[in-house]
Parts: sequence; C-alpha cells; structure tokens
Amino acid sequence: MNIVVCVKQVPDSTEVKINPETGTLIRAGVPSIINPYDHFALQTALELKAKHDFKVTLVSMGPPQAKSVVQMGMALGADEGVLLSDMAFAGSDTWATSYALAKAIKKIGKVDLIFAGMQAIDGDTAQTGPGVAQQLGMPQITFCERVEVDGRRIIAHKQIDGGHEVVEARPPVLLTMIMHKDYTPRYPSFLSVNASLKKPFHTWNAADIGAEPQYLGLKGSPTQVDKIYPPPQREKAAMFSGSGAEGMARIMQIMKAEHFLED
Amino acid sequence: MPSMDAISRNLMLDSLREYAKRRIPYDLIRDLDEKNEFPAEILKEMYDRDTLGVHLLMIPEAYGGVSGGTYDIYRICEALARIDLGIATGVFATFLGTDPLNVGGTEEQKEKWLKRIASENLLVAYAATEPDAGSDLVNLRTRAEHVVKNGRIAGYRITGNKQWISNGGVADMHTVLALAPGGPSWFIVEKDMEGFSANKHEDKHGIRLSNTAGLSLDNVYVPAENLIGMEEGKGLLQAQAVFGYTRVMVAAFGLGAGEEAVEQAIRYSQQRIQGGGPLSDKQGYTHKLIVPNYVKLEGARSYIEYTALRLDSGEHGLQTEGAIAKYGASEWGNKAADDAIQALGGYGYTKDFPVEKIKRDIKITCIYEGTSEVLEMTIYRGRWQEHLKSRGRYYLDMADRLDELHAKEPRCGAHASALALRALGAVMEECRLQKLTRHQHVTFKLGRLIAAAETAAIFSTAAGAQKYAETVRFDREGWQAMARVFAREAALNTAMEGLALVLGAADSGNSLADAVNIEAVQAEQKGMVADMDLVAAKLKQTFKAK
Repeated sequence: MNIVVCVKQVPDSTEVKINPETGTLIRAGVPSIINPYDHFALQTALELKAKHDFKVTLVSMGPPQAKSVVQMGMALGADEGVLLSDMAFAGSDTWATSYALAKAIKKIGKVDLIFAGMQAIDGDTAQTGPGVAQQLGMPQITFCERVEVDGRRIIAHKQIDGGHEVVEARPPVLLTMIMHKDYTPRYPSFLSVNASLKKPFHTWNAADIGAEPQYLGLKGSPTQVDKIYPPPQREKAAMFSGSGAEGMARIMQIMKAEHFLED
Repeated sequence: MPSMDAISRNLMLDSLREYAKRRIPYDLIRDLDEKNEFPAEILKEMYDRDTLGVHLLMIPEAYGGVSGGTYDIYRICEALARIDLGIATGVFATFLGTDPLNVGGTEEQKEKWLKRIASENLLVAYAATEPDAGSDLVNLRTRAEHVVKNGRIAGYRITGNKQWISNGGVADMHTVLALAPGGPSWFIVEKDMEGFSANKHEDKHGIRLSNTAGLSLDNVYVPAENLIGMEEGKGLLQAQAVFGYTRVMVAAFGLGAGEEAVEQAIRYSQQRIQGGGPLSDKQGYTHKLIVPNYVKLEGARSYIEYTALRLDSGEHGLQTEGAIAKYGASEWGNKAADDAIQALGGYGYTKDFPVEKIKRDIKITCIYEGTSEVLEMTIYRGRWQEHLKSRGRYYLDMADRLDELHAKEPRCGAHASALALRALGAVMEECRLQKLTRHQHVTFKLGRLIAAAETAAIFSTAAGAQKYAETVRFDREGWQAMARVFAREAALNTAMEGLALVLGAADSGNSLADAVNIEAVQAEQKGMVADMDLVAAKLKQTFKAK
C-alpha cells in the first residue's frame, strides 16, 4: 500500500506570544517543530510500514524552511518527501490548503491511506485533514488513536465521547490521528538524518500540482482571520511551601477569609 | 570537511537536546558530579548509531560517519557544553583521539580504525600529555622502540607514562604520542594490550563526569601498522595541524557553558524582587553581572564562527585564529560563570542551582587544549609576524576595512573597532621601535589585547552583515547594540592598557596618547549606557523567566 502523511511545521506552542498591538503571532526567534499530532500520525504510518512494507510519502505545505519537518520525517523512516512551497499558497485558509494538498496527493499517484494529525497546535481548526478527504472524494475516519491493516481491511480505533469506537474501511481512506497519552515521539539519530538527504525530495509550486490560482492563498480562502488576541490573564496564584498539613491550614484560612467556607 | 546543510545540522542538534532532556536531567548530573562518576551508559548511548551517534560527526561518510564540518562540530560542542561539560569532554576526547588518524592516517588505517570507531561505538582517548610534558611536547619521554623481525620493523615497544588523559580509564582505544627513533609519532594502542594500564580516575575541581586518568605503558607491543601514517617523526606536525580546529571545539565549550550560566541568571533575575522591583530592571545588577559578559560571549561566538567557516572553506592551520577563538570564549566564559554565581547570590553558591557546577566545570576550558597563557603567546607570535611582514600595516589595513563598513553600516560598532585596531597597531609599532618584546610580559599582554581587538572587528563585521547566522537569537537592533558595547570597550582597553604597557616597559617616556588616538576613543564612549540598557532589555525579552 501507499501511504501519504500530511505534516505541518508549527511554532513551538510553549514559546509563542501574541503582539498585543498588532494582534499577530510573534514568530521571530521561536523554534519551529513538527505539529505533534502529525508526528503521531507519522509514527503510526511508520509502524505500519515496518509491519507491512508499505511506502510512506510525506507532504507538507509552507515556506522553504518547512523542508525541515519533511526531512525529519524522512530521517525517521519515510521514503519520500514533498514540500509545497510557492508565494501563491501564502495566506491560504484550511480550505485552500486542503485543495493544494489534495492536488499534490493526486500528483503523487495511487494512494491507499492518508494520515493527518487531528489538528495543528497553532491554528487548532481540525479542518485540513477532513478538507483533503472532501477534495479527494474519499471517506474519512477522524479522531483515531490506533490503526491496523489486515489485508484490504483498515481497522481504526477512534475516540468518541465517553468511549471508543472501532471502525472498518476499505482503502482509499483518510484518517486523522489524536495522540496517545503515553506516546513518546521518536527523534532521528545522526546517521538517519544524514541518510535522509539521499531520499527523494521534491519542492512543488502551484503550477507543478496543476492548482488553479483562484483557489489558492487569500483569494481562494473563504475564511479570513479578523483578529487574534491572548486570553485574559488569570490572577496570579499564591504558592505555599511547607508540609501538606500546613498548606491545607493556610488554604482553609484563605477560603474562610474569602467566604468560600463558613467558620 | 565542509559543513553540512543547516537543516540536517539543526535536526541533529534537536535530537541531541531531546535525548538530553529525556535521559540526562540535572538531578542525575548533580548526583554523578557528587560521586565523581563517569556516566558510561550515557556515553555508550550517545555513541549508539541507532540512538544518536554523536561521535559520527568526526568520521567521514566513506567510513560510516556523517562527515561533519567544523561549523557543525562547533554547534554540537556548544550544545553539549550546555548539557554538561564533563559529558562534552568525554565526547570531545573521542573527537580529539580520532584526529591524528583523520589528519595523518593512511587509507588502510582509516578504513580499518575509523570504520571500527563508527560501527563499534568505540570511546577514544588522545594521549599526548605527560608528567613533564604538557604544553611543551618537546620534553616527551614516552619511547617507542623498534622490534625488528626478519630484517624489517615488525612493530614497536612503547614505554612511558601519560597524564591527565580524558577518557583515559574508559577508552577502548588510545592514540598515543611517543618518541620513535625517527621522532615523535602517533600510535594506536588498544586497552587490552599487554603492559597497558590506566591509573585511578582523578578527583577534579570540575568536569567530574569526565573520566581523567594517567596511563602506564610498560613495554607495550604494537604492530608496525599501528604507527599512524606509517612514517615516524610526523607526530608534532600532525598534532599542530589540527590546533585551529580542536581549539574551536573548546572555544565552543566556553561559549556554551558561559552563555548557559548567564541565561540562567537572566531568567532568575526577572523573578527575584529586591528593593521594590526585579533585579533584571536594575542597572547596578545587569550592567555589571549580565550585559558585559553576554556581549563578550556573543563576540566570542562571532569569532568562533568566522574561524570555523574559514576552516570549512578549505583553509588549513589557522592556529592564531583558533587560539583567539578559544582564548576569548574560555576566559570570558569563565568570568561570566563566576558572575552568574554572584547574580544568583546565596542560591548561586549552592549546588541546588547549576551555575555553581558550571563555574567549576568551565575553568578547565582555560587550561586544556592550550592554557590561556600558551594561547597569549601563540596569538602574539602569529600576529607579531604579520605586523613585521606588513611593515606595521596589518592592523591599519584591517582598520581601513572596518571604516569602510562603518560608512555603510554606522550602527555595528565598526568605527570603535577600527579605533581599537589602530591603537593596537600603534602599540605594536612602538614595541618594535623600543624593542619591548624582550619582556615576556609585553608579549603575553599583547596577545590579550590582540584577542579583544580582533574579536571586536569580527563581531562588528558579523553585526554589519546583511544576513545573520542561524545562531543569532536577537534582532538587528539588539545584536548591533551588543557589537557596539563590545567594540567600545575593546577600543578603550586597547588604547589605555596598550599605553600603560608601553610606558611601563620603555626606557624613554614618549607618550603614545596621540598615536593611540585617546581623544577619539574617549569620544566613542558616548551612548554606552543607553546601549547597555538596550542590551539588558533584549536579553530579558529573549530569555524569559520560566
């Protein structure tokens, strides 16, 4: 089977700040990482590859420096990488992004499984994966935490409110992945980073994938961001040191003083 | 080897940091430091090709490595030093021990040994120093005598003692410098060879996670094919050929450990409220303990990068440049770590906070791979030759180039750097005219002045460039302010200390005040406090309290 994994480069969420005056993200000097949900999706795909000898191709869209997440994925074991990079893509919302990714996946050829992270930690929309499935007219299974393949059966274990659901499908199908709570992302060794340089890597622009300009970028995007602002800061917490009993006594004292508890 | 692409380098750096975050927490480091214990398991994991394979940087791809260039190795060394300088030293010893093979080994030797180091994750040690031969290897006592069979040299018997050998007690193989009949030569000695033994692990002031031991070689037989290069007498040349490069690595240690200490102090200072506000907002604190140190280390960084890129472009030697890079980074890093303890006050003096350990660790960078004093001499010697060869134009020409830069980029400190270089040129010329270099003190002091003035020039050049290196974590405004602070101080020190040096050593009392252009140097100090305010603000913004 041929697997495509969609990955996105995102700013490390622990470092991102919002400029209160302009309402935009301050990205300067902020390290970029692979979106953690995509990392989990990639790891799931690579486990299937190890088990069944599937081919894994990565697709990402972003500025030239986003090559970094594609190369990292190849260092971890993916066979081939594609970066969609073109000024024509700049400003694309989730719909325009899905359109471009779908075009690229069509160009890659026969694809049986597409993996995507449930959402990206910078935008938190959870729309791009389902958007790609829609553009390709492909069924989708969202919120998966585990995926197995048995012949032509794709068995997806997905999380639902208050429980789990096991869903079966036939390829082609797109799966969006959540993260296991006990999941530890792998990192590549020096040797595998070096080896990734020898794997096929392509940078494609809008013309390469046959994308029509009116469906890309800001003009191809039905949604526009009006404003970004940080949530109001919560009041500062008071910290107490000492034994548990002492701490509890202090807390009781404060709760009584603030009339949360009666004397 | 040229450096690799930035993406690959940064992926390797990310993997190293991720490994350290998971496997080497500070509590473990603190415990090992207390017990004076070498973390064998961690080093083996770091060398494991499927986990990290950090040692593969030094090994060309043809022999199973990843062909790291000097710039790559500098970045990894800096990152290692930020984790623990003892562990960094353990890795560095393998780099250093592999060097004689990389530089002087025959194709067959590289094929055999480099491949083994790569695939068997061998820990290597570099055994040059002896009880009576440290910086001065001419006093080498370890001997390698011919063992002749059937009329040809079949091997050598090596006898002698080595001292202060990093990885000495734990390495799988050692590259040992010994005096063969044809002169000093490198030999490969394996740990289980008969007659070879390592002494006890030294109880050191710092880098206690690094194994340091003496070696005893008692009539150790090594086959002739273990003579590196298969030719006797090339040992010292092979050692010197890589000084530019190996000193860049130790410079990266001083830089990484020093900046780590200051960054911890910067984060602390934003939470520590004294006298109604955080320490990070008080000039008495920042302008003494933080800003001058960070600015010096960023200067050292630009000099390290300048040297590394030149080596990667194929230039050989660069001994003077390697010496300047290491001298600045280690001396300024050591001072920065000392001030970081001061900046954390009582907390800094306890082992609960890593700055105490960093201060003990970083001192070694002023000692190993050429003491600071040996470097002062090396720097002086290298540049004195240039001064004479150019008939005193060396620094004046360099100053002209800085003035040209100033005309295009007036805010990168190039004018102050040019003043420093001109003052230096004037001081050196006066030393020549009055034959003052007969005083060893003058020569070593010139070495110090040269290191600071040249670093100022390189820092200004880097800060004036259109595009900044991947390592610059500040915006243009901030980094140029740092370069200005560095250059002003260098100009003032070069002029004042140079003047004092000449006056103190000369018989006649000609004042150099005009030659060093003291008035212009003084005028250049305008705006220093405002720039230091700006740098303090940028540092606070970049290294936020956690």
